[in-house]
This record gives sequence, C-alpha cells and structure tokens, in this order.
Amino acid sequence: MHATRNKTIAITVGILPALIIYLIFAILPILQSFYYSLMEWDGFSAMQYVGLDNFKALFQDPLFWNSLKNNIYVVLASVLGQVPIALFIALLLNRKIKGLKLFRTIGFLPVVLSTVVISITWSLIYNSENGLINELLRTIGLDFLAQNWLGDSKWSMIAVLVTVIWQFVGLYLIIFLAALQNVPEEVLEAARIDGASEWKTTWSITIPMIWDTIIVAVILCISGSLKTFDLIYVMTNGGPAHSTDVMALYMFNETFNQLQYGYGSAVSVIIFFFSLILIYTVTKLLGKKMI
Amino acid sequence: MRKLAIMIFSTAFLLGLVACGGSNNEETSGSDVIELTLWNDWTEDRPENNAYKSMVEKFNEENEDIEVIIEAIPHDQYETKLRTQAAGKQLPDMFRVWPGARIQPLVEGDALLPLNDIIDNWKDTIPEGIMKDYAVDGNQYAIPGNISETSLIFYNKEMIAQAGFDTFPESYKDLKGLIQALNEKDITPISLGNKAIWPLQSVYISTIADRFTGSDFLPQALNGEGTFENEQFVQSLSIIQELTEIKAFNEDMNTLDEAQARNNFISGNAAMHFAGSWAIGPILESAENIENIGVAPFPSFEGGEGDPAKIAGVAGGGIALNSDLSEEEREAAFKFLKFFYSEEMYQQLLEANIIVPADLEMGDEIPQVFQEANKLAQGGLAPVYDATLTPELTDLINNGLQSITLGEMTPEELAKEMQAENEGK
Repeated sequence: MHATRNKTIAITVGILPALIIYLIFAILPILQSFYYSLMEWDGFSAMQYVGLDNFKALFQDPLFWNSLKNNIYVVLASVLGQVPIALFIALLLNRKIKGLKLFRTIGFLPVVLSTVVISITWSLIYNSENGLINELLRTIGLDFLAQNWLGDSKWSMIAVLVTVIWQFVGLYLIIFLAALQNVPEEVLEAARIDGASEWKTTWSITIPMIWDTIIVAVILCISGSLKTFDLIYVMTNGGPAHSTDVMALYMFNETFNQLQYGYGSAVSVIIFFFSLILIYTVTKLLGKKMI
Repeated sequence: MRKLAIMIFSTAFLLGLVACGGSNNEETSGSDVIELTLWNDWTEDRPENNAYKSMVEKFNEENEDIEVIIEAIPHDQYETKLRTQAAGKQLPDMFRVWPGARIQPLVEGDALLPLNDIIDNWKDTIPEGIMKDYAVDGNQYAIPGNISETSLIFYNKEMIAQAGFDTFPESYKDLKGLIQALNEKDITPISLGNKAIWPLQSVYISTIADRFTGSDFLPQALNGEGTFENEQFVQSLSIIQELTEIKAFNEDMNTLDEAQARNNFISGNAAMHFAGSWAIGPILESAENIENIGVAPFPSFEGGEGDPAKIAGVAGGGIALNSDLSEEEREAAFKFLKFFYSEEMYQQLLEANIIVPADLEMGDEIPQVFQEANKLAQGGLAPVYDATLTPELTDLINNGLQSITLGEMTPEELAKEMQAENEGK
C-alpha cells in the first residue's frame, strides 16, 4: 500500500515538468486561438469582441472553400497514395533479398531531406522551359505532353501532390517494415504448410496482423496532410492564382500578410475541428474492419 | 524517501533552468555595453548591403559602449516575420521599415518611436518632400536612406538591335512591335519572375496605371472619391493581359522568383527585364558587358491621362525604433541613426549605384545606366501600389494580376473585386 502510493507520487512528480511545458506550449495556445477567433484583431491595436462574425465571413469566402478542397486532395493523395505504395514496397522488401539495407535507405532518404530542399529540387524538375520532365518529354518527341507544371493552374495541384506522395512514402515504408518484421514466422509457416498461396498469405495473414499499424499510418497521414504547409509554401506559395492554396497556407496568409489575427485564429479553429472529426470517423471506419 | 527528495529537487532544478532561460534573453548582459538589435533584409551580397553593414561595423568600433547587432532576414520573408513578432510584442530594438501603408499598422499599434526630436539633424541634406514619406500624422518614424524607383526597363542593346530597333521604343505601340520582332527571332522578350506575385503589381502596374490614371487616382480611389472601376485603371490592367497574350513573358514566369528572372536577363536569355532600382547593382555587377545594357523609362500609352515623365518610386531604407526602448537605449539609438544616415553613407550608396535622397555630386566614374536611372527620378515620383494600398487590397491585386496572366480573371472582374474590398472597409 505504502509502496504504491509512493510510486504514484514519484510518477506524478516525474511527469510534471514535461506536462507543464506541454500545457504551456501546446494546450494553452490552442485555447488562446479559440479566444482570438472571437475577436477582431490586427495584431497591434486593442482587440474587439465580434462574436461569431469571423466564422460567418470565413464560410462566405470562396477562397477558404477552395483551400479546403485542395486540402482534401492532399489528404486523399496521401492516404490513397502514400500508404498503399509504402505497403507494397514494404511487402516486397520483407523477404530475404540482397541489398535490403540499401533499398531501405534509398526509400527513407526523402524523409530525411529538408522540405525546402525537396521543394526547390522538384521546382527545378517541373520547370516548364528547362526542367527535367519537359526536357525528357521533348527529347523523346512527346513535346505535346510537356506542360507548365507548376505555372499552370490546371496542373499545379497534381504536380504538388506527386511531390507530397514522394516525400513521405519512405516514412510509412519504414513503419510497415518494422511491423512486418514482427509478424511471427510460425504463423506464416503454418499457412504455407496448409497450402496457402503467397497472395492468400499476404491478404489473410500478414495484412490483418499489421492492421493496427496501418490504422496508425493512416491517422498520421491524415493529420500530417491537414497541416501541410512548408512544401507548398516554398514550391508555389499557394499559387498560381490560389490553385494550390491549402488551409494552413490560407490561414497563414490571412493572418500574417493581411494582419487579421482574429480571422486567422478562426481558420485554425476550423482546421482543428475538421481534423478531429475526420480522424474520429476514419478510426471508427477502419477499426470495425479489424474483426 | 530519499529518492523522492532527490526527484523533487531535480524537478525544481529543471524548472529553475527553464525560468532562467527565459529571463536571460530579456536582460542585457551584466556589463555597461548597450546592445541594440537591428533587423534588416541585407542578406544578399550587394554593394549597398555591404555599405550598410560597413557603416554599422564602423559605428560599433567608434562607440565602445554601444553594440549594434545585425540580424538579417531574406527580403521575401522579412515583413511577415516583422508582423508576426509585432503581434507578439517581441519586436527588436531597431528594424528596417518601408513607408506608407506598410508602417501604418505599426504606428497605429504604438510600436514605433517618433523621431521628431532629432529630425532637424537632416534639415539641410534631405528635402522635405522625400522625408515626408516616412511621416504619419505629422510624426516622423524613420529617416529615408535611399529612393527606390520601382519601374525601370533594363534591355539588352544587342538583342533589340537584332530585332531592328536602334533605340528603345518610347510608346507602347512601338514596344509591342519590338516584342513581336523579338518573338519572331525566338528571343524571350521580357524576363519576368512573378512567383512571389508582387512584381506585376509593384513594378508594372504602379507606373502603367499612373500613365493611364494620373497620380491623384490612387488616393482618391482609396478614400472613396474615386473608384477602382475607373475605365483608365481597368485599361491599365488590360495591358498585363495583352502583354501575356502577345507572349511578352517567359513561359515559366509564375514559377520563377524575381532574382531568378533577373539572372536570366543578365545571362542573356531575354531581351528585357522590368524591375526597380534594386536591380541596378546586381545587373551592373554581374553583366558581362555593361555597355550592352541600357535602361529606359516605361513607354507612354495612347489616351493615358497621367504624366508620362513620371516613374513610380518611394523612399526606402528607413530604420524605425521600438517604442519600448529605455531612456538609455533611446539615446544610443538616436546616436546610431545620426551616424548611419550621414553624408558618408549616402556617398557610399551612390558609389554602389543606389539612388539617395540627399543631393550629392556625381563623378564621371558612376556608370551610365545608373546616371540614366537617377535622372528618371527627376521627372517626379508616382505612388507605388503596394506602398499605398492596404495589405488586403495588395493581396487582392497581386493574386488578381496573376489570375489575369492565367486567363482566369478579366481586368474588369479584378477592378470590381478591388472596389468591393475597398468599400467593405
């Protein structure tokens, strides 16, 4: 009795510094955002209470809906692009092949690279006059396929999405590889003895066994995509003509370029709830399939 | 029990560290040296930036009791960072500011210290008309260091000669002829980098619109006496549309930033580059043959109501002081400003091909391009759009012009949106 109480105190004391720092730097700003979202504030002058006016204006701004739409594209591309591709490569790599370490490193490389480096490199690749893609297309005589990838609002979002997928496939690849290595050899062995084909083993044994990891990856993917900012900020800054604007970028520009701190906070609050709802729904949906 | 004591002790110690970390930044270190942090955008290796930096260095050497610390932030991010810090009441002691609409919010938020007490120092060197650019409601907030002309045309003499032009066209009609001739020769006519979306507005529209509407239009449109749906203004926006349609710009204009476009011009990939006086230094420094580079004013437009001799421009290079400075710091900062904005610096800037507010003699060693550009300011300054418009309107016109180049918006629609935004305020 005495010992357990002692332990509880010790744990409390131990967790306290981290908890305080977390509360001050993570929870408090979120609450502050809620407060600011009800104000009209240019960042300098005194705040003015305006109730829900910011939200009203927000829902009427076509640029906000445009950024939401683009953000949903990013979420879809990440969940439907990054996760399956990463899973596919992980399954391929999860056998005793030569050079596994090399492939793993190559796959993980984009994750280690700074986003700014990735953005600038891909901007060069996409350049319409002397970029790699267009040069290649022209060399093999496919001139008509050459596009102004980032400069044309028809293509810019697609071009950005390809880069987003490329950037994070490596991260999920490593997560899946780690999970696959934890699938017990005996189970697979038993399946093989029962005469299950490779295909059947993968679908009926391996994937269900790492299903939890897949859910975690999908959630990471969604929350990451909802706050995506840096890559697009450097690559296109939301342009041309708002065609690659996402919510975080919209919030940033409204807040800091147009000095509407209250309005910007309202956007953050919407992003917050949107993420919460989306992640809740996805967990419910995927969680059921597990059984 | 002892374990617990140790734990509590170490926790307290950790918290103490955190607290100390916070307060250390606030106080200047124990010695008598007054430290003043100066934020600026002198990141690029340009002669004028080097001149500014050498003045600061010299000041630090001469004044042992004051230490000015330079923190440089790239230009495209500078103002965003400044506004962010201002909102958090964490502005540095001194920081570079731009005049007009861009310091207005800082003034309204009481973030800036008025310099009225020391302004007499520059009474004889800087004309009042230029000084005024940095004044809001009769209070002076910074001293102009230079004049920025935002609309100059740099051209490659050899290339336009190839297209059959011995002199640079003076009217828009002839300029279109030149663009067509260059396109026929497969030379990119104008190198434009509009990824950061301000060049089409600041460089192009500031002067083009002034040619059409005259200089009274902008203030009147803003205070409600006029309207952005003004036919002349719409026509100036159509010029951008027309230039895009006749393929005056490089195809990748929306994915290049300004410096990349300038480099393309310097390395001979385009015949013209429209930019402000900030481009003079880099162009003169890196162009292989300076003699081959010419500078021209924007052309005149038929039917325009403005004065075709004018050029959009604004005073710049001002440094504002934080209103929270202590008495001691304030005196030190005043001393620094007096030292910094001296004839010595203006002379250095002239040699670095920067147009300065002070009236100084120019020697023969100053390159032709610079002398020409300097002369253009004598025709009078027209307001620069992003120095005059509110941030919201600037954002609207920046994005709108880009949409026009993509064919997603018409000049009429943009003018209408701008008017609606202006009336909404």
